[in-house]
Amino acid sequence: MPHLAALLRVARRLTLDLGMSEDLVQETMLLAWRGFRQLQPGSNARAWLFRILLNVFYGQGRKASRAPVIEAPLFAEPVAPMLQEAAEISQALDALSMEQRTVLLLAVVEGFTCREIAGILELPIGTVMSRLSRARQELRMMLAPMAKEAYK
Amino acid sequence: MTCSEIQELSPLYQSGCLDAKQASEFAAHLKSCPDCELDQRVRASVLAEQIDTSRVELAVRNQTRPNPRSVPGWAVAAAAIIAAVLAAGLSYRTFLKEQTPLLCVDAAQDHQREIVNGEPRRWLSDLSAIEALAQGQGVPVSAISALGTTGYRLERGRLCFLKKQIYLHLVYTKGDGEFSVFLRPRASESFDASVRGASVGGEDVAYFQSDRFTAVFVAHQSGADVLAFARAGARVL
Repeated sequence: MPHLAALLRVARRLTLDLGMSEDLVQETMLLAWRGFRQLQPGSNARAWLFRILLNVFYGQGRKASRAPVIEAPLFAEPVAPMLQEAAEISQALDALSMEQRTVLLLAVVEGFTCREIAGILELPIGTVMSRLSRARQELRMMLAPMAKEAYK
Repeated sequence: MTCSEIQELSPLYQSGCLDAKQASEFAAHLKSCPDCELDQRVRASVLAEQIDTSRVELAVRNQTRPNPRSVPGWAVAAAAIIAAVLAAGLSYRTFLKEQTPLLCVDAAQDHQREIVNGEPRRWLSDLSAIEALAQGQGVPVSAISALGTTGYRLERGRLCFLKKQIYLHLVYTKGDGEFSVFLRPRASESFDASVRGASVGGEDVAYFQSDRFTAVFVAHQSGADVLAFARAGARVL
């Protein structure tokens, strides 16, 4: 299924929960399947899927904005250790507000233009640009002490 | 190089597929552009994460199968007659055509990894140790004993995570067959009390919820056998 990994990647960052992200993407794909005829030929299917994902997500009243404290899972299978840098960036991303994190992920990781994001989120393009700029600023501030620490 | 070119070429840069000149221009741009440098770090970090799409893909495929009710009436009637003729020998094929719960998909994958593929895990094989493990999870010894009366032999047990909840994973044998039983005190799943079946990626799954337990039975391409075991289990649990 095309775009499934990208949808799951963003869903996981939005919900901060593996099970919830899978439920969210499952619902997104089912809605997309049912509404496939509404998709105009030649239009951007990827952006359309993300629009459904975010509509479902925000429609369900999920308003948690910052990363909750996650307890270490019991009996978890051992996972490959993440690189320090990746772990720090991941932590900083999760600490962004939901609005900033959404725009940053869509722009930077998924490669949507600000105009496309404005369409997906139904926001003015200026709002998207300012959220993206603030997201980068906050991320840079969060990562700066970590970088200093790393170069000590 | 412009910022949009950086974004476009980023996957090629990360996978080392840019030629030397492009790679050096790319790196030079990153040094001079703080936004692109930050974006590149974020992309590399997020895209390095492993994404397992199999569970969602299976669940979506199961739910988007053609609805048998949408076929013409005469075809439904013909199918009903054929089904009636075959029912006696193929009763286990009355598997669910609707949604397979994600819990069952998780259970099937767990069985495939640990039993079919034999990935190494720490198992308990001593009955009293298994019973202690079960009691720790709210599964009484009587439940283990009851399952022992169904004609299947308990081989080993461990705890596992399915849908973020701890399940007791028991492995039973009968003849050549190995059966996984995933058991926990009744949780929030709204399964039927009657035994339902599904087929998930080569594994046959049967599941039910009694007053006290949520149970999922899995076996590799066993067809009727896993349903028979689950029905026997449903009678005693």
